[in-house]
Amino acid sequence: MNIANPLTPEGIWVWVAAILTMAVFSFLYRENPFYRFAEHLFVGIANGYAITFYWHRILVPYLFSPVSQGQKLYLIPIAMIGALYFTRFIPKVSWLVRFPIAIALGYGAGASIPRSVDATIIQQLKATIVTRASFADWQQGVWAVIILLGVICTISYFFFSSERKGLLKPISYVGVVFIMVGFGASFGYTVMARISLFIGRLQFLLGDWLGLIR
Amino acid sequence: MTASDKTRSGFWDRLQRIDRRWVFLVIWLVVMLPLIFPFGIKPKAMPPVSRLFSYIDTMPEEKALAISIDYTPDTQAELHPMTIALLRHAFATGRRVGMLSTQVYGLGLGEEALRQVASEFNEKATTHEDSVINGEDYVFWGWSTPFLTVMLGMGERITNVFPVDYYGVTTESLPITPHIKNFNDIGIVVSIAGSSTPLSWVAYAQTQFGIRIGCGTTAVSAADYYTYLNSGQFTGMLAGMRGAAEYEQLLADKLAAAGSPLSLRRKATEAMSSQTAAHLAIIVFIVIGNIGYFVTRRGKQ
Repeated sequence: MNIANPLTPEGIWVWVAAILTMAVFSFLYRENPFYRFAEHLFVGIANGYAITFYWHRILVPYLFSPVSQGQKLYLIPIAMIGALYFTRFIPKVSWLVRFPIAIALGYGAGASIPRSVDATIIQQLKATIVTRASFADWQQGVWAVIILLGVICTISYFFFSSERKGLLKPISYVGVVFIMVGFGASFGYTVMARISLFIGRLQFLLGDWLGLIR
Repeated sequence: MTASDKTRSGFWDRLQRIDRRWVFLVIWLVVMLPLIFPFGIKPKAMPPVSRLFSYIDTMPEEKALAISIDYTPDTQAELHPMTIALLRHAFATGRRVGMLSTQVYGLGLGEEALRQVASEFNEKATTHEDSVINGEDYVFWGWSTPFLTVMLGMGERITNVFPVDYYGVTTESLPITPHIKNFNDIGIVVSIAGSSTPLSWVAYAQTQFGIRIGCGTTAVSAADYYTYLNSGQFTGMLAGMRGAAEYEQLLADKLAAAGSPLSLRRKATEAMSSQTAAHLAIIVFIVIGNIGYFVTRRGKQ
């Protein structure tokens, strides 16, 4: 066992991280002040880090420095429009916040809608269509047909414009099966993800802190 | 109902109402013990992982690998081993690397990964050519916002999006810059993310400029991303810690075959014993829970 030395510059931070990790894990037993302390500390530090970062890495080098030297003066009206976000705190003029929001939404929607339609609908539809090339080898062909069936049946399940009877009934039932398989896969992956995060913390506690593993 | 039926039903009933803290304790032990006493598991690479590995391995020599750190410390355990493995692969095959982050909190992780992997290679280096040097072999562009502008701007000229790198050096002055001007010089962008950022890379960078996109994702998101793998929009995908372990294995096999002196720690592979044990424990819990449910339901009837 080779426990991190708390008297070294690296070791002290390992100890701080380990104690905070244990404080958060203590919530598994029950709600307690140690957990609350760690939670509030995290929120405070995360916000402090972000504000400091934006100030030193964005506002100062890209706005205040050039403008104070008489360069890029076109940034002044842009910055003023951005500053309108703060009018949310003054009820009488809070409506002014709509200007920066409208600009951001307009830019975002204009830039993203055509590209998102192509990436998430058109390309996905193309990948669903079964062609002769889909049967280049038999396994690929079988999967292509299953995907096509899955898409049709699942969309049928979400077809609410008519009563679910006749042909629509069995097709939508198969759609439910596909949906359930999808949920099962998502749940399995979720379990894997959560266990992975826990393993990561234990690797830190047992390795970096306690030195039980290398 | 007979007396033995009642006893059996009572047992299952009590088991269903067990304090969940016992379950936490069991999971804690099941995960911890294999970390201390691992049973050797050699991950076998699945097609999504081997496709990404093969592409990076065989892409034209002059093309760079771009890694986008789109994750934050909360998903570090799953995603950081992917970044490390990709960097090792790129440096071992002599690829130039450009790294950026779309997450403020991801910057430190990217910097740490570059520092760690560069020092692993530089410790064994005997010549300047063997060394991995910041500004020559790799560049850490840092962070800029909004990500939409970053993704579209990089297709035009990267130095316009990142006038200075993470360390504050003017990017135009870096020796690597003439080799990585825009997406034309990049073979693939691998977005390592705990969010939907890889889809943004597909929607903006790929749709606009045709750049290849690879994806390293948390296991939670993996099921949603298989459709993009199937459509070919993702060249390959690393899903969760298991994906990272598979990539580590492929790289280890390649380095061993090449007789490389590098002996690298593989954190994701080391975790696979615990992961397997935890999955088995959860399967047992689910089976026991279901048996208990049906037995108690029959008892009530």
